[in-house]
Amino acid sequence: MNSGEWQSIPEPTNHRTRRTFRKSGMAIFAVAFGLSAASVCSGQTKPTDATSSVPDVKCVIGLKDVKPNQTGTITVSGTRVGFVTGKQKGDIDAHQITDIFLGNESRQDISGLGGTAVKAAIPYGGGRILSLFSHKVEVMTVTWEDDNGAFHGAIFVLPEGHATALKAQLVGIGAHVNAHVEPPAPKEEKQ
Amino acid sequence: MKRGIRAAFPIFSMVVSGAALLLAGSVMAQPGPQDKPAPAQKLTGKSIQVERAQASEDLVIPEDFRVATYENLIRQIEKTGKFEHVYRSGDKRAAGQSDLVILKLVPSAYTAGSQKQREVTTIKGATSIKFTVQFTDRSGKVLLEKEVEGKVRFFGENLNATSDFAKKVGKVVNESF
Repeated sequence: MNSGEWQSIPEPTNHRTRRTFRKSGMAIFAVAFGLSAASVCSGQTKPTDATSSVPDVKCVIGLKDVKPNQTGTITVSGTRVGFVTGKQKGDIDAHQITDIFLGNESRQDISGLGGTAVKAAIPYGGGRILSLFSHKVEVMTVTWEDDNGAFHGAIFVLPEGHATALKAQLVGIGAHVNAHVEPPAPKEEKQ
Repeated sequence: MKRGIRAAFPIFSMVVSGAALLLAGSVMAQPGPQDKPAPAQKLTGKSIQVERAQASEDLVIPEDFRVATYENLIRQIEKTGKFEHVYRSGDKRAAGQSDLVILKLVPSAYTAGSQKQREVTTIKGATSIKFTVQFTDRSGKVLLEKEVEGKVRFFGENLNATSDFAKKVGKVVNESF
């Protein structure tokens, strides 16, 4: 072997594959970056086809064809938010929503007419002890204007941990919200 | 025996005459149809527009209470059947109505209360909401003004105070229109 002569050393195979992976990885990254940049630049919130729903929601009042205090499922589909319980259903166009307010409250575990009767039936004031058991809920108040510009409002009581995500989803499909300071929860409600 | 009867007769007659006098006095004291206070002149209106409760810096009412009050009020006023149309706040169709009454709510007091406290102690934790209810005409002239309070004293959720308030306003509407 001459010392002054360069010899081309064949590249090991694993080096070649690594280079190929690196190139393809960069290409994928570039395409992904380009797509995300395009979606950001467009600045429009397209209605998602995805449907999401939250069960065990109580509609306190506000939907035209739903009686007050009905428990059902709230569903976000396309650009509408709907509430279904049995045969009763009502929905709101997200673009008509003018504001969404969130709040926290606690509800009695044993409540209603039956619950109250049970509590009253327990001797020596034992029913009062049952009243101490409660669970936290979230209250979502939605206000909107119909086609005539008339004000409407609906109140939903959701299981804890769903309201913020639901609000974000509604904003994503076109609901309008204002910045506002929520009034402090009453002291006795805090746990 | 005869003497005894004779002696008892004047006493009996006095008792009977006294009772007759008392009965006659009570009958005369009762107000006759002419003495009844003349019923206040009823207000008239073909349609009504219910405005939202005015916001106040001094009195912060949670939005769920404000909305529940408004929606319950709309339901109760529709239930009275006194108006052909019940328009909501901001409804453009109300602008063309000639005989329109406007219902305004001015919040005057709010106590949050607590359902748990109510059910455990019975005497504490009442929720209450109070508004000055104004019925005005289109020019703003006050036709009727009344302070109405909604309460939950013993059982039920805090928001039930709003339906109690709305029922009372419905009663005012029934009496006044």
